[in-house]
Amino acid sequence: MQEPLEISNLTTWLDTTLRGIMPSMWVILIECVLVGVALLAAYAVIALILIYAERKITAFFQARYGPNRVGKYGILQSVADMIKILLKEIVKINRVDRFLFFAAPFFMIVASMLTFGAIPFGKGLHAVDFNIGVLYVTAVSSLGIIGVLLAGWSSNNKYSMIGAMRSGAQFVSYELSAGFALMTIVVLAGTMQFSTMIEGQRYCWNLFNGHISSMIAFVLYLISGHAETNRGPFDIPEAESELTAGYHTEYSGLQFGFYYLAEYLNMFIIASIATTVFLGGYMPIQVHGWEGFNQVMTFIPTYVWFFGKTAVLIFLSLWVRWSFPRLRIDQLLNLEWKYLLPINLVNIVVMVIIVLSGLTLTDLFPSLF
Amino acid sequence: MSSISKYFSGLFTGIKSLLVGMSVTWKELWTKKVTQQYPENRDTLVISDRFRAELTMPHDENNEHACTACGICEMNCPNGTITVNFKMVETEDGKKKKVLDTYKWDLGMCTFCNLCVLTCPSDAIKFENTFENAVFTRDKLKQQLNHEGSKMREKKKVERPAAPVAKAPVVSEVKVETPAAEVKPAVVDTEVKAVVPEVEVKPTVVDAEVKVELPIEEAVKADKEIEAESKDETTEK
Amino acid sequence: MAEQIIFYILAAIIAVFSILAVTSKRIIRSATYLLFVLLATAGLYLLLGYNYLFAVQVAVYAGGVMVLFIFAILLTNRPGADVKSELAVRRVVAGITALAGVAFCAHIIYYNVNKVMVTVAQSELTPQQIGHTMLGTDKYQYLMPFEAISILLLACIIGAIMIARKR
Ligand code: SF4
Ligand code: SF4
Repeated sequence: MQEPLEISNLTTWLDTTLRGIMPSMWVILIECVLVGVALLAAYAVIALILIYAERKITAFFQARYGPNRVGKYGILQSVADMIKILLKEIVKINRVDRFLFFAAPFFMIVASMLTFGAIPFGKGLHAVDFNIGVLYVTAVSSLGIIGVLLAGWSSNNKYSMIGAMRSGAQFVSYELSAGFALMTIVVLAGTMQFSTMIEGQRYCWNLFNGHISSMIAFVLYLISGHAETNRGPFDIPEAESELTAGYHTEYSGLQFGFYYLAEYLNMFIIASIATTVFLGGYMPIQVHGWEGFNQVMTFIPTYVWFFGKTAVLIFLSLWVRWSFPRLRIDQLLNLEWKYLLPINLVNIVVMVIIVLSGLTLTDLFPSLF
Repeated sequence: MSSISKYFSGLFTGIKSLLVGMSVTWKELWTKKVTQQYPENRDTLVISDRFRAELTMPHDENNEHACTACGICEMNCPNGTITVNFKMVETEDGKKKKVLDTYKWDLGMCTFCNLCVLTCPSDAIKFENTFENAVFTRDKLKQQLNHEGSKMREKKKVERPAAPVAKAPVVSEVKVETPAAEVKPAVVDTEVKAVVPEVEVKPTVVDAEVKVELPIEEAVKADKEIEAESKDETTEK
Repeated sequence: MAEQIIFYILAAIIAVFSILAVTSKRIIRSATYLLFVLLATAGLYLLLGYNYLFAVQVAVYAGGVMVLFIFAILLTNRPGADVKSELAVRRVVAGITALAGVAFCAHIIYYNVNKVMVTVAQSELTPQQIGHTMLGTDKYQYLMPFEAISILLLACIIGAIMIARKR
């Protein structure tokens, strides 16, 4: 076995043993359940880790220590918070549209979970591999905004309402940029399927392959993805100083927890899609011809590569978040419609030209890659 | 054309300023953390001397304090935090005299305004920066400041120094001193405190050094009114 | 077998929520029910193995159109505050008309569907094939309609801007 640390070894083993003892329909059923449970668990665990990491890094940016009382270095802080949120009462609000009020968090969480399921975490750790992966991800993640809008409407609260409106305007605008930036890379990679896209980046990441155009697309994607998650300088939908908490003002307990989880997971999802599309996903760093080096790199399991690259991007997002002041709504929309979108449109044409006239790095230096 | 160039220059200056901002926060990421890890750093914790946490009545090694039981602090306290209980005793020469019995101070009612310390004519009380005042019951907040069995420091018969010397705070913030002589910092007679004609005394200015040079006769003459004056000012404040 | 069960579930969802969407008095709820209908339709596409159409359905209808609907509703002032229920007679008439329409369409579809429709033997369509069909000029390819629709949309955008600028 060349890659002894891969989880895919475990899953293959599980599959063969199960198939050995029961009919294949049962195997599929059991495996579906197992995958579902694993995804849910990963979802929760990643959220907890992210919350902890965010609080720590935030603190370090502000010359503080952050949580450091619950467990060593405060590691258990987010677990404690989770237990607290689970135990909290779900407050009943007067005169809300109860059905929509309860449905809204589910939209949010289901949208982010559906996206989460399509992310390739490592070799063989890929729940669904659609041939339209990129399109699927953009499509499904756009459902989340409905949760936000419904929450704002059904809360019977003007702050929630304003927050939801801002969030809607922001999301609808920036979704365009994010989609275009991804499409630029689809042009380069010639596929929308995540697995083939990653395979194609074995020796040269898409980020470098399309040089200028790719880099611009990368930056554009990070900006618009960051804006989609309502974070950082783009957090007017939940601007505390004017809207208390924005669209989830009226939510408490587990329902608030859903929004909270979804927010953090969306950050992760954006980072991991950027990783997959631009940074070679779970593919280890490989250099053409350096066999020994490649062997060593392959020995590090793919999921470590994936989470490592994603962590770098998440750190970048936090860095941005704690560097810049909040944008006003007009500045926000200006940025999207007057800067990001035109640049994106030009960029995609440039990318087409680069690909068609063979100016990508792999075309220029076929011996290197 | 100009609007197009403006567009692009705006774009690039924008990007540049964003990068500058990020470099600033990057440096901030590695700065020393300023958080005080409180219970752990108790030994090294630095609390400002001027922090008012607990009212105390300093006693010297003979278990003597300076309180004359005049009750001025009690009168000046806006919250009724202080209760000065005194008893009347007869001195050897047959005069009746107030003597401090118990000096009660309730931390729970104090706003730490410092008025009591400012107005005390004998500097008998002061604030300490011992800030760990949490207790389990409210009764424990009520403290008696004079120690058991303590008594008032007898006022020394002050020999008037030959040189016009007075180093004594009018109120705790205003130091009046003559540079002419090496100063005897002893507590001067409570009645004769400081001597400041011709000089504006600003009781509001913290640590204002007011230098005074004047003959002693005038000083003695002037002292009473000035003392009254400055005291009025402080109480008004 | 499993596919059939899923199909019936989806069909039931579509039917129920369609009815709810037109009967609900609260407009935002109608919009939500409509959203469920669109999502269930997307589910049908997924069941057919037509992933591309599924993604487009979700992105365009659920993520785009419905968001704009809801957004527009949020911008209106007290929507549906003075909606009165119709007269019983009119309701019955409307119901009968709707049923007649359904029967008519059903008849046509049931008897003619095999004449126009050819079942494609292909199992999975790749995005490349879709792209080529969409932008090809051969027979059964759609560059012409594609461009026509682009121009239509462009006209719509310009029109919207004109309306918005006129104060
Ligand atoms: S503390 Fe000072 S002001 Fe208060 S009674 Fe004693 S001498 Fe008077
Ligand atoms: S500090 Fe102020 S409130 Fe406290 S005892 Fe003195 S005069 Fe009263």
